[in-house]
Amino acid sequence: MKDPYEVLGVSKGASEEEIKKAYIELVKKYHPDQYRDNPLSSLAEEKLKEINEAYDYLVKNKNGESGGYDSYNGGNQYGGGDSNFNEIRNLINNGEIVRAEQMLDSMHTKTAEWHYLKGIIGMRKGWYSQGYNDLQTAVKMDPSNFEYRDALNKANNSNTTYASRPYGGGYNRPNNTGADMCQVCSWLWCTDTCCECMGGDCIRCI
Amino acid sequence: MFGYVFPDKPEMKIKEFELFRAYYCGLCKSIGRNCGQVSRFTLNYDCSFLSIVLSSLKGDPESIKPEKCIAHPLNKRLMVGESNVLEYVSYINIMLSYYKLLDDYNDEGSIKHKGLMIPLKPAFKKALKQYPKKGDVITKRLDELSAIEKSGCKSIDEAADPFAKLTGDMFMYEPLCTDENTKKALSWFGYNIGKWIYIIDAYDDIEKDIKNKSFNPILLSFCYNNEKAIDFKNKVKDNIKFTLTYTLSEVGKAFELLEIKKNREIIENIVYGGMYKKTLQIINKGEKDK
Repeated sequence: MKDPYEVLGVSKGASEEEIKKAYIELVKKYHPDQYRDNPLSSLAEEKLKEINEAYDYLVKNKNGESGGYDSYNGGNQYGGGDSNFNEIRNLINNGEIVRAEQMLDSMHTKTAEWHYLKGIIGMRKGWYSQGYNDLQTAVKMDPSNFEYRDALNKANNSNTTYASRPYGGGYNRPNNTGADMCQVCSWLWCTDTCCECMGGDCIRCI
Repeated sequence: MFGYVFPDKPEMKIKEFELFRAYYCGLCKSIGRNCGQVSRFTLNYDCSFLSIVLSSLKGDPESIKPEKCIAHPLNKRLMVGESNVLEYVSYINIMLSYYKLLDDYNDEGSIKHKGLMIPLKPAFKKALKQYPKKGDVITKRLDELSAIEKSGCKSIDEAADPFAKLTGDMFMYEPLCTDENTKKALSWFGYNIGKWIYIIDAYDDIEKDIKNKSFNPILLSFCYNNEKAIDFKNKVKDNIKFTLTYTLSEVGKAFELLEIKKNREIIENIVYGGMYKKTLQIINKGEKDK
């Protein structure tokens, strides 16, 4: 077992509160949902296992109770639909992407489910442009299907999570909501104009 | 097609940018040492990024010294000292640059490209001798790429695949691939970096390629029908923006699984900041011309 403090990225004397906080952050980062339809999902699972072990070890050592996150049971469980699709879903679950795609390509009628599975395969093997298209088509063909919409949402969420992640020193965010100088100036100007309307004056020179 | 991988400089600490540049300059020196002085002009930021990522997987500290540089005669520059990684990347850099020139020469037949190739030839041959396996991978993937381009491929994913695989392979520097997990993560990291470079370059070239009637995978895969460039771009924007961002999100996921031992801030800045901002900048370019 690796040094549990190192795994959780906390210092040796960290309090339980700090450990918990670091643990929750890491679980979020490596959560199976983040790595759904990703070829590295087994690596992420391993990492999560390591994190769970480290957390269990530290928390158990302190007060003898076992820690939180239920370990994920691996693979995405797809279910339902006709027998051909079931077999393809099984292949996808077992990571046999190439065979799953071959089977799919040999089918003639392209239903919503067909596009959905094709989309899942596309996202998994790195063909995102087509994958996105197929997922969109699946949702368009069968808007009431939760599974299809969920897959499309997950893909979009992955982008949002990426785009809003702070980086480097951690004092910045790509979609910064703070005010820049222009905004500050326009606020001042607005305040001043309002004041003047009411008969007062906030800034004399403007 | 090179040079898109760059930090988000305003969000970087000065010491981090200095270090980024020290890698760039160190690599430039290393190219001069291993491949001859003329080869130094082929250096680009993408290879510099490759050298930072690979160096960061090793725990030992870098030796950084101020040294003289021919391009900056007045001041000495901070440079990262020679290492196995820099040597490896300098050979990769020369192979990629040479093949790029060869490809341009075959496409356009201009003497300019031929002229640039001649002084690189000895270094290129040396590189092939040093890393024959990588040389084979590059030829194989580039052959695949030109076959796909010639067949008039209808899918941007398919067109980007060979270059993505090539990049993935360049990231798999053997001495660092000691276990299966590192190998897998590095290869997926590189695959998605390559994919991003290929697609963003294609998108960036749309106007130029429409004008010159040259091959562009995006024009083909989204059935360009002689409409105005701006209308075409608006049509494909949603899909391309999604694809590029998703590619970067996968780069991020692979990055989180790498055992980075140093320079984490610099790589994070490039992966989460620089490359994303570049994507937005290229996607939104030309908006004002409407």
